[in-house]
Amino acid sequence: MIGVSDETSPVGRVLGTADATPLQFWTAVTPGEYLQLDDVVVTKRDLPDREPVTIAGVVTQVRARHEGAQFDSDVFAIAEGTLPALVQEAAEITTTRVDPELYVPPSPGAVVHRATGEARDAALHFDRMERRIPMGTGRDGVPVFLNADFLDGTRGAHVSISGISGVATKTSFATFLLYSVFRSGQLGADGTNARALIFNVKGEDLLFLDHPNTKLDEPTVAAYKGLELPASPFADVRVYAPPRAGDSTGTPDVSSRLTGIDAFYWTLEEFCATRLLPYVFADADDERQQYTMVVHSVTAHLHRHAVPAEGGVSIDGRRISSYGDLVDHIVEQLTDDETRSTWAGSAVNMGTVNAFARRLIGSKRDLSRLIRGDLAQRRPHQIKTAESAQVTVVDLHNLPDRAQRFVVGVTLKTEFEEKEKAGTGRPLLFVVLDELNKYAPREGTSPIKEVLLDIAERGRSLGVILIGAQQTASEVERRIVTNSAIRVVGRLDPAEAARPEYGFLPPAMRQRALLARPGTMFVNQPDIPVPLTVEFPFPAWATRKSESGPPPSDTLRSIVQGADPFAVVGSSDDDIPF
Amino acid sequence: MDAWDPSYGSSFEGASEADGPASPSSAQVDTDVEVPAAEWAPIDVSPSVRAPSVVFLVDGVRRNDAGLWTSEEDGTSYAGLAASYAAGVVRCDLGKGAASLVGARVARGLFTASPSAGDVQAGSVRYEIHRISGTGEASKLPAAVQAPLTALEIDISAAARDGGSDGTDLLVVDGPLRNRRQLPRTIGYVKTQQKQYLPGPLTAVVTALKPGQRTPVFHLGTVWGGWSWYLRLPGASGAPWSGIVRLECSPDLTPDQAIELAEISVVTLPRFASSAYKDPRAPQNLVPIAGLERRLRGMLGDARVLHRALTLATVRGR
Repeated sequence: MIGVSDETSPVGRVLGTADATPLQFWTAVTPGEYLQLDDVVVTKRDLPDREPVTIAGVVTQVRARHEGAQFDSDVFAIAEGTLPALVQEAAEITTTRVDPELYVPPSPGAVVHRATGEARDAALHFDRMERRIPMGTGRDGVPVFLNADFLDGTRGAHVSISGISGVATKTSFATFLLYSVFRSGQLGADGTNARALIFNVKGEDLLFLDHPNTKLDEPTVAAYKGLELPASPFADVRVYAPPRAGDSTGTPDVSSRLTGIDAFYWTLEEFCATRLLPYVFADADDERQQYTMVVHSVTAHLHRHAVPAEGGVSIDGRRISSYGDLVDHIVEQLTDDETRSTWAGSAVNMGTVNAFARRLIGSKRDLSRLIRGDLAQRRPHQIKTAESAQVTVVDLHNLPDRAQRFVVGVTLKTEFEEKEKAGTGRPLLFVVLDELNKYAPREGTSPIKEVLLDIAERGRSLGVILIGAQQTASEVERRIVTNSAIRVVGRLDPAEAARPEYGFLPPAMRQRALLARPGTMFVNQPDIPVPLTVEFPFPAWATRKSESGPPPSDTLRSIVQGADPFAVVGSSDDDIPF
Repeated sequence: MDAWDPSYGSSFEGASEADGPASPSSAQVDTDVEVPAAEWAPIDVSPSVRAPSVVFLVDGVRRNDAGLWTSEEDGTSYAGLAASYAAGVVRCDLGKGAASLVGARVARGLFTASPSAGDVQAGSVRYEIHRISGTGEASKLPAAVQAPLTALEIDISAAARDGGSDGTDLLVVDGPLRNRRQLPRTIGYVKTQQKQYLPGPLTAVVTALKPGQRTPVFHLGTVWGGWSWYLRLPGASGAPWSGIVRLECSPDLTPDQAIELAEISVVTLPRFASSAYKDPRAPQNLVPIAGLERRLRGMLGDARVLHRALTLATVRGR
C-alpha cells in the first residue's frame, strides 16, 4: 500500500481532455506549481466495495500552452496584455506502480500529489528492494537505488552501458557502481569480498582509482554523504601494465603512475601449456576460415611437445626463448614438407598453411612484449584476481588492437576457468570492459566472443558479472545485451537512439538521451517499468595524473622492490639464495 | 422537448457591419455639445491624453440549450426555453502586459410563461425558472434571456473593480450601456450600427473619419440615451462604415466628463482592434472581447451534453 502522506502537496489534477489510462495519463498542473521530468507523483482512485487504488508514476513529459489562443500569432496579443489567455501546464505520467493491482484508470479531476519519502520509495519500488545499492540521485536530489538482486546474480546479473564516447561517462559510471557495491555495505560480506577486474582501454584514467581526487569539493562530499557513501578512493587496488616494448627487464609501460604497478606477461611455457594460441587470432573459431583448423592442430602440438626450459621452451629439442623465435620455428616447421603433417595434419594444403603463417607472422610485433621467454617465471606476472587486490586494473591503452584482444581474451578465459573449477558463485567477480562491440561484435565468432558469451549466459551462476560498456549497443552481440539485467544509457548518438536496442526508453527519454549531460545516466532495471534518470557524483578518486593526491602508502612498496624476492628465487627450502 | 436544435431559432444577428445603419432614428439628437454642428469635423487623438494602464472589458454570451413545451393540467401547452448565459470581465493590464479573466459567472435559466413549471435539474446543472408574463410565444422567449444576462454583467463588472481602482482605469461594456450607466468610468461599445442618429451632413463626417479619429460628442435624447460619439478603428476595409463603432457614456455625466471619456476611448480602443484574418467581425470585435467570449462559451459547457441531460430530465419528469 502506497501511502499518500499529508505533507506532500497537491500539484495538479488528472485532466480529462486526454485519455487517462491505467498505464499513462496526463495531469494538469495547478497554477503556481510545477512538475519537471522524472518527478514522482501519486494519485488515488476510489472504487465501490474495495479499498482505494493508489496509482504512482513518474513524469515523462511536460508541456505548457496558452489556453484561449486560436492562432500562433495570438501570443503577441497575449503578451501585450490585450487577449486573455491562461498558461496551462500539463504533465504526462507513466505509471510505475498500481497498488493493489487493479488496473483502473485514475479518474479525471483526481488530485495528484508530489510523492516524497515513503510514497516516493514505494512508487519507484525501492521499498520492495531488500538490498539496494545507491547509484546516484534523481532529478529531485534524492537517492536512486539499484536492486542488488539484479546485480549479484540472485535474480539477474550483468550491466550494459551505452553512450557516446567522451560525453556519456560510461567508465565513470561503471567505476562508481563498483565503488557503491564495495562501500555501501548492502551486499554484506559478498560486497566486501567481491573482486573487480577492470580493463583500462583509453588513456591512463583508471590507473588512479586508489588516489584521492584533489578536486573533490564540499558539494561532492555532501553528495556522497547523501548516498551514505564515504567520499574516498578505492581502498585496495592493484594495477597491471604490459612490459615496455623492447625492454628486457619487464618494466611496466606507464608514464604517469609510478608506484603500485606490476607488469603482466605470459611465459612461453604458459602460452604453450594453456593453449593460448587461438587468442592470437581474431576469428580463430570462425568455421568459414580454413586456417582455423591449422590453429587448433598447432595449438595441440605445442601443448604436447613444448618442454619448459629456463623461462623459454624447448620444442623438438630446439631451445626457444622469445615469441618471435616461436613464430619463426612454427612457420619453418609448417613450410617444411617433412614436418608439416606432424604439426598441421595431413589434409592441409599449402594455401591454408600460408594463410595461417601470414597471420601468425603479423602477430609477432604486437605480442612479443607480452609473451616472454626471457623473464623470470616465478615472478608474479599473471593477472589473477583471486590473489590480487579487491580491484585489479589491467592497463591496455598502450597495446595495439590485437594485443588488447589477446590480453582480454586470455585473462577472462583464465578467470572464468578458475571460477568453473571453484564451482561456487562467491566471491563475486565484476568485470568492467569498455568497447564491448570490439570484443563481442554482433557478426562473426572469435574465442574472445565465446568467453564473453559464456560469461553472459553462465556467469550469473558462477558469480562473474559483466559490466560492459559500448558506444553502440546495436553492434554488440545480441545475446550479451539481452542477458544484461541492468541497462544504462548515457548520451546517445541520434541515429543510434532510434535503434530497437533502446526500446526500453520511452520516446521522451530517448530524446533526452541525445542531450544528456556528463554524469547523467538513464538506468533501466527489471522491476521498475520506467528507466530512472540518475546523476552520479563526481568521482572521489583521481581520474588523471593532474588531479591525483598522494598515493596510498602500501603502493610505495613497489618503488623499493618491483617484485617479491622470495617469489623470484623460489620458495623451496633447500635452495639457499644468498 | 423541442426536437429542433436550439441554434436554428436564434439567428437574429445584426446585418453585416459594412452596410451601415439601415433605418434612420427618430431620436432627439443634440449635436452642439462639443462643437457647433456647423463646425463638425473628425477629431484626432489629443497628445495630452494618456491611455489608462488598466482597462476592464465586460461581455456576456448566451446560448439556447433547448426548446421545451410544457403540458398543463388543462391540456394547453406553453413554450419554454432553456438557456445558458455567462458574463465575464477581462482585466487588461497594459503596463504589465497581462490580460486575465478577473470574474466570470455562468447562470442557466428556463424561460417560460407556464404557471406550473418549476426548476429543471439536468444532470449536475440546474435551470432556474424565470417566469415571463404574457402569452409567452416561443419567438419572444430568446429576448427574455437578455434581462438576467445584463443583470449578471452589471454584477460582475461591479465586482471586477473590487480589487481596487486607481481612478484612471476604464470599463468597456460590450453593447449599449442601457441600465449599466451607474458604473463609474464606463463606456458602452456598440459594434453594429442599426440606427442612423445623425442628420445627413453630419453622417458624412462619420464616414470621413480616418482610423483612430472620432466625431465630436453628441447627446441622444432616447430612453437609454446619453452622450455618444463615433470612432473608426484601424484595420477597416475602406467601406464607408467599416470599422466604425459608436460609443456612449452615462447621461448623468457632465459634457466635459463625457468629452474626457471620448478622448480616452480614442487612445485606448484602437490597440484592441482585431484583424480580419482572425475574426470575421474585425475590427470591431475587440481582441479581449473575442477572447473573453471564447472563454465564456467554454464555460457554458458542452451544448450536446446539456441537451442530452435536459432530454433525460424532461423524459423522467413526464
